[in-house]
Amino acid sequence: MNQLTSILEGFGRAMLLLIESGRHLGTLPRQRARFIEQCYLIGYTTLPIVAILCFFMGSVLALQSGYSMENFGAKQFIGSLVGLSFARELGPVIVAILVAGRVGSAITAELASMKVYQEIDALVTMNIPPARMLVLPRLAAVLVMMPVLTIIGILIGWFGGAVVCTYVDFISIEPEAYFAALRSFMQFKDVGTGILKAEIFGFVIVLICCSIGLNTRGGPREIGASVTKAVVASLISILVLDYFVTKALL
Amino acid sequence: MTCPLHRNPITAVEGPAVGVSIEHLSKNFGRLQALRDVSFAVEPGEIFVLMGPSGSGKSVLLKHIVGLEAPSDGRVLIEGRDATAEGTLENVRIAMVFQAGALFNSLSVYDNLALYPREHRLGTEAGIREKVMRALQILSLENTAHKFPSELSGGMKKRVAIARALVMEPQLMLYDEPTSELDPIMGATISEIIATLRDEYHVTSVVVSHDRELALGIADRVGILMDGSLVFLGAPAELHAPEDPRIANFFHPKIDLKNPRFKSLEA
Amino acid sequence: MNTAQQSARVGLFFLLGLALTWVTWETLSDGKLFKKNGYSLIAGFENLKELKQGDEVRMAGVKIGAVEKTRLAGRRAEAVLRIDPNVRVASDATASIVMAGLIGTNYIGLDLGTPGAPVLTDGAELRTKVTPDLNAIMADLGNLGQKLDGALSSITNSLSGDSKNPGFFQKLDRLVADNSAKFDSTMTNLSAVTEKLNKGEGTLGRLINDPSIHDQLVATVVEIKGAAAEAKTFVANAQAIVDQVKTGKGTLGALIFDETTGNDIKVVAANLRDLSQKIAKGEGTLGKLLSDDSLYLGMQSTLKKADRAIDGLGDTGPITAVGVAAQVLF
Repeated sequence: MNQLTSILEGFGRAMLLLIESGRHLGTLPRQRARFIEQCYLIGYTTLPIVAILCFFMGSVLALQSGYSMENFGAKQFIGSLVGLSFARELGPVIVAILVAGRVGSAITAELASMKVYQEIDALVTMNIPPARMLVLPRLAAVLVMMPVLTIIGILIGWFGGAVVCTYVDFISIEPEAYFAALRSFMQFKDVGTGILKAEIFGFVIVLICCSIGLNTRGGPREIGASVTKAVVASLISILVLDYFVTKALL
Repeated sequence: MTCPLHRNPITAVEGPAVGVSIEHLSKNFGRLQALRDVSFAVEPGEIFVLMGPSGSGKSVLLKHIVGLEAPSDGRVLIEGRDATAEGTLENVRIAMVFQAGALFNSLSVYDNLALYPREHRLGTEAGIREKVMRALQILSLENTAHKFPSELSGGMKKRVAIARALVMEPQLMLYDEPTSELDPIMGATISEIIATLRDEYHVTSVVVSHDRELALGIADRVGILMDGSLVFLGAPAELHAPEDPRIANFFHPKIDLKNPRFKSLEA
Repeated sequence: MNTAQQSARVGLFFLLGLALTWVTWETLSDGKLFKKNGYSLIAGFENLKELKQGDEVRMAGVKIGAVEKTRLAGRRAEAVLRIDPNVRVASDATASIVMAGLIGTNYIGLDLGTPGAPVLTDGAELRTKVTPDLNAIMADLGNLGQKLDGALSSITNSLSGDSKNPGFFQKLDRLVADNSAKFDSTMTNLSAVTEKLNKGEGTLGRLINDPSIHDQLVATVVEIKGAAAEAKTFVANAQAIVDQVKTGKGTLGALIFDETTGNDIKVVAANLRDLSQKIAKGEGTLGKLLSDDSLYLGMQSTLKKADRAIDGLGDTGPITAVGVAAQVLF
């Protein structure tokens, strides 16, 4: 019961924070420098790990599907399978999980330590709402950066699949055939759906992580607890949302 | 340390100093009662020193004045406005010097000071720069402008925190343990700064401290909190011979090795 | 790192994302939104089946465009095709919806048309032709079954007849009753032949008395039964013959409905009687057959050949049917 109320409380806090941030939307042009800094942290510095993980996820997906589809002679559909599953599902989810682990945890740690060391209180006494200075630029940055990360992740995942299809002996499909199969079953809508999903995930992650960070109470030990809580909450939200968003977008 | 204040006067504070009125303030954290029916008033331009042992509720009371905590009962009025009401912080500039400084670790000293005027668009970048450098000069911190808070010593952090509060050109300054964790000389320096700022700018100051020297040296009036209740309110001179044994014990503790206090606490 | 550098990196990064999105868009939607290259043709069908936007248009198997959109126009479905600008489609080229595989996508296939025909221009209407799909084939098969049922029942009717029109069997009965005397004598001769056979004389005698041949015959009959089951499908053709029989046309019709033919049969029966007498004496070809052993061996090999032929029929029949269905499907 306590668990349930604390979940509802967290949800409510996140909603209030979102509304509060929305109220300061007009200040965003003034906060350009902060926005760009957050774009850099959320997008640019996350790219390498997104690239590596997506490449290998694409490879493994092609390898596994090649192994199992070879048995009934459907090898030529590997491209379609990797293409569709990466664009619609794996790309957005992998990027979201990486953003939660890498960016979300950093956000929570930073805001929680600011809270614990009274920097947030100082901001409040200076009449600078934390939602305006700390949350809004991050939300805006993640909205701009998620599509970029996702499209790169998807394309790298496809490429990873193509590499495996070309160089693994028991599959050995020409890249042309792989991409032709990929194209024949796909529309841009599939990629667009994936990007939209990533956008939603990213926004929710940053909102959750900001909210949990700002609501940290206690000493330095609570910073670690908050980070754990934020990452777990983000991951659960991604997967639960994934189901409902996918259902809504089908 | 010489005080450079006279040579480099900061721009005049807009608006007069404000008074604070605390009426029947109570605060509960769950079952713990941090404040019990505390009432007192701070006159505009006064230095009010709030004393008391650790955990007596001094810092909590300070947070109520700046609106960081909402009262369980009673209210805090600043110039007749409720401290927790929306808009109070916009109409009355209250600066708080936190115990540990609460400097923004991700910003340099200069940016820490410039944050307030920048966020509230008080003047051009050049004007802000002038203002910030003057505040740093007042506290002899010019050389630290491009350092980060993590590179500063404890005393410097407190001075930067005071400088940051000064840049806000406040009508009410709140100090939370400004001299704790400092050596006696640095403590005296901070006390001098607080007094000088009051004298120069007629700013109302509420200082939470258990520093006896500070209270006796610069306070106009002193309040003593014990277990959430206000047990003393009066001029510092009255503290030299207090009637209340608790206050006498707090203010002039005698180290008695034959009958140590922690033994009696056990019992 | 200074702020300008950071801004530059973020800017470049964002532009990279935009560029990649654009490239993906171009690749996956064939640049539908950004360039409208080529000209459009309209193909009207009764049913577009599984055809959807973005499917390929192929001429003689070569990709020449894509389905731009599909829409309903009155009582038919139209596919608007976008054709590459350098491809010329002859006005008598015919479009059809082709299934690329059992679970694959469909595409619109165009044939080349005739060489000299005029070229279609933007917005022109293509000639179309309907290709059967799996559902249509199944429906046709159902109809075929019903027709077979009808054919079989009309054969039964014509053979057994009703109260007004004497059927085939009644007529045959009468024919036999009229000529019973002649049949009697024929039978006498036949019994003489049978006696000979019983003694194992002649080819037929050996044929009957040799148990191995009997087994072979039984096996053959079983296979013939199997073949007969398949032959049922051809009964539909027989319906026409039965109709002809009913109207008195053709030989069998004449036989049954014509009195003069009845007389002819009497003569034939007489000849048959003569023939059986001759056979009994071992005269003529059939007589030789019965008395000469060499023919026995020939007959045995013929039976074996028939055996193989029936086997072959049993094997190839269903395969051909599957082949036809497969060709339609794939």
